[in-house]
Amino acid sequence: MFDRPVHILASFDWSFFWDTRGAFWDGFKNTIKAGVVGILLAYLIGLVLGAVRAQRIPGLNQLAATYVEVIRNTPILVQIFFLFYGLPVLGIHLEPFTVAWLSITIWGGAFMTENFRAGFEAVPERLREAGYALGFTPLKAFLNVTLPIGGRIALPSTINTSISVLKNTSLLLLIGYPELTYVANSIQSNTFIVFETFTALAVYYLAIVWTLSALIRFLEARLALPEAL
Amino acid sequence: MPLVPDWFRPVAEYMLREGLPETLRLAAIALVASTAIGLVLGTLMTIRFFPLRWLIRFYVEVWRGLPILVTVLFIYWLPAFDVGTFHVQLNAYQSAALALSLWGSAQVAEATRGAVKSIPKEQHEAAAALGFGWIGRHRFVILPQATRRLLPPMVGLLVNIIQNTTIAFAIGVNEFLQAGQRQFENITSGFAGPTAPSYAPFMIFGFAMLVFFLISFPLTRLSAYLEKRLA
Amino acid sequence: MKRLVVLMIVVGLVVAAAVAATFGSAAPSQGASQQAKLPPKPKLPPLPAAVKARGKWQIGVKCDTPPFGWQDTSGRNRGYDVEVARQFAKWAFGSASKVDFTCVTTASRIGTLTSGRVDIIISTLTWTADREKVIDYSVPYYNAAGRLLVPNSVTVGKLATWMPGKKLVSTSGSIYDRWIKNCFKNTSFQVVSSPAAGVLAVKNGQADAMMYDDAFLVGVAANDSSLKLASNVFLKVPWGVGIRKDEADMKRWVDASVRGMRARDMFWSILKRTIPRRFWRGFKVNAPSPKIKLQYPRASPPENNCPS
Repeated sequence: MFDRPVHILASFDWSFFWDTRGAFWDGFKNTIKAGVVGILLAYLIGLVLGAVRAQRIPGLNQLAATYVEVIRNTPILVQIFFLFYGLPVLGIHLEPFTVAWLSITIWGGAFMTENFRAGFEAVPERLREAGYALGFTPLKAFLNVTLPIGGRIALPSTINTSISVLKNTSLLLLIGYPELTYVANSIQSNTFIVFETFTALAVYYLAIVWTLSALIRFLEARLALPEAL
Repeated sequence: MPLVPDWFRPVAEYMLREGLPETLRLAAIALVASTAIGLVLGTLMTIRFFPLRWLIRFYVEVWRGLPILVTVLFIYWLPAFDVGTFHVQLNAYQSAALALSLWGSAQVAEATRGAVKSIPKEQHEAAAALGFGWIGRHRFVILPQATRRLLPPMVGLLVNIIQNTTIAFAIGVNEFLQAGQRQFENITSGFAGPTAPSYAPFMIFGFAMLVFFLISFPLTRLSAYLEKRLA
Repeated sequence: MKRLVVLMIVVGLVVAAAVAATFGSAAPSQGASQQAKLPPKPKLPPLPAAVKARGKWQIGVKCDTPPFGWQDTSGRNRGYDVEVARQFAKWAFGSASKVDFTCVTTASRIGTLTSGRVDIIISTLTWTADREKVIDYSVPYYNAAGRLLVPNSVTVGKLATWMPGKKLVSTSGSIYDRWIKNCFKNTSFQVVSSPAAGVLAVKNGQADAMMYDDAFLVGVAANDSSLKLASNVFLKVPWGVGIRKDEADMKRWVDASVRGMRARDMFWSILKRTIPRRFWRGFKVNAPSPKIKLQYPRASPPENNCPS
């Protein structure tokens, strides 16, 4: 009963990993390119819109809320296709790379907004009042009190969102962006080597995600807030 | 302009008739499997038996670490194998269901572990004092409280699973998005189906977004409501 | 006596009329006399055991490439390839419905076949020497050539001079994928997930041209007044049914069926059923028939022939 899986392992072409390292490396670079741009911009959007939501700035608050609800309640793949096929109709012609990071930015930004909003709202009221007592304007209070503390409260959730953004780059193969999964599919369809290709792909993604998670947990421990606030 | 253009009506009907049931069925299977497996694994993770913990921890980290698309592709392209007389080879639908269930169960396991751990030690001690063994303690005291805390994130998980069924697109499952894409391709290639205006992509994918939104938004609201009520 | 003669003449006329009616209703194409002699179903070798036991075919077809494999709004598979599959079902089991279709893409079709998910693939599968190392081909069932889809304003001229520096699209794993990577190293090649995505890329200016099969592109160009086909024709290679290696009984059955269909001019009928009338004249030569025999260019595999 188990002889087949053993047979697969025995006949596994280990040289495959070495032979395809160039192609996968190119794919990895593209994954990182789109991922990093997406994550950074999503953080930016999250900070700004999270502040808007937490401070309940009229008008902008509702707009931000609509953006967040639409993005969070629709699949990211549909959003990607909507952008990829829909923008050219409006006369906006973008390269695959641009659509790639734009789509994951829009998606990530909505989640980051919620993450930061929760973080800002979790800052104890008394700290802000202390700021006012010191003569801070609301803006200064936000920048000097809410933002640093709320931002760090939001750290775990925003980190999770970042990793999700990176994992979602895998979907970009469907719009022809040559990231890791695209490379795997390309190798498989031209060499007809299937099992080794997708095993390699899974191993590479796990390596990336686990390494990043470990690094970030380490950073998070350094940046964590002291217990008592 | 009529509310629903002529060319769009059969497309929308095709999407709703052929694609949407597939999506919902896939989501339902994945939800049930994820919950069943995840609750068990999550509870087991709290036992002080380290090899078991590490094994489950490994399971959780693998299926949460991989992008779901990669899991789907990996499972779909696994070589077939024979278990006795059964020839095991998952078709696209089954591969997608399995991949979603593995991911979902990892999420549920992690959430369950957190929920069980959040039950104060006093509850365990009180139950033990009343004569409950480990299983009895968990069955009658710990898990009922933990599952109440799990309800909001579980509804959230359902929403996520529904969204993630679109990933099955990549291996050709005729779910809702794929149905729209197929008709979109027919229209673009000109041979098949009615000719459509250039804003066709907006209508088709916008329609897809609308339908998903209409399904997910009430559930998201429900999750938020439950969080307020039960937390 | 006279009445007997009249009776014989009348009977003779009736018989002659009946014979004429029978022969007259046969399709008035070349080989009509040949067709009238052939039984509707050829003598086929035994059906492979696995298919026979199952009672129906499992065939991989395209679902995104009209007019060869696509799905209409009632969810039904249609197209030239699909009709060939249905004919196989009719001859194997007596009914065109005894076939389950699995949708494949250019990128996934060979993997789907080799992994055992389907019995055979009838999915616009062009012959290449590389593919034949991994799978077997039946005798050809359609002849296709490669064309370039470009905006109306573009003039192509010689491929070797026009291609460098341009951005082309096609599907992943296609013969064009291979050919461009082999022969046009200075051409940037973008893979798209479906033929329609390639068309859109050209329309939106994201690519200079789409390289794909003539039958598909002809329909696109005819329907879109802003796009046209460049006059260059290349990679004229037939398609075959994809069969797993070491399945000689499957190959025998499929080959015999394709030959039988060709002898009965069935491919031409299928072509007429699946593409609009205005394209018939251009595509008639692509379908195998009693007068047209297709062959794979084994002597010089085309994907290695780079234009000068």
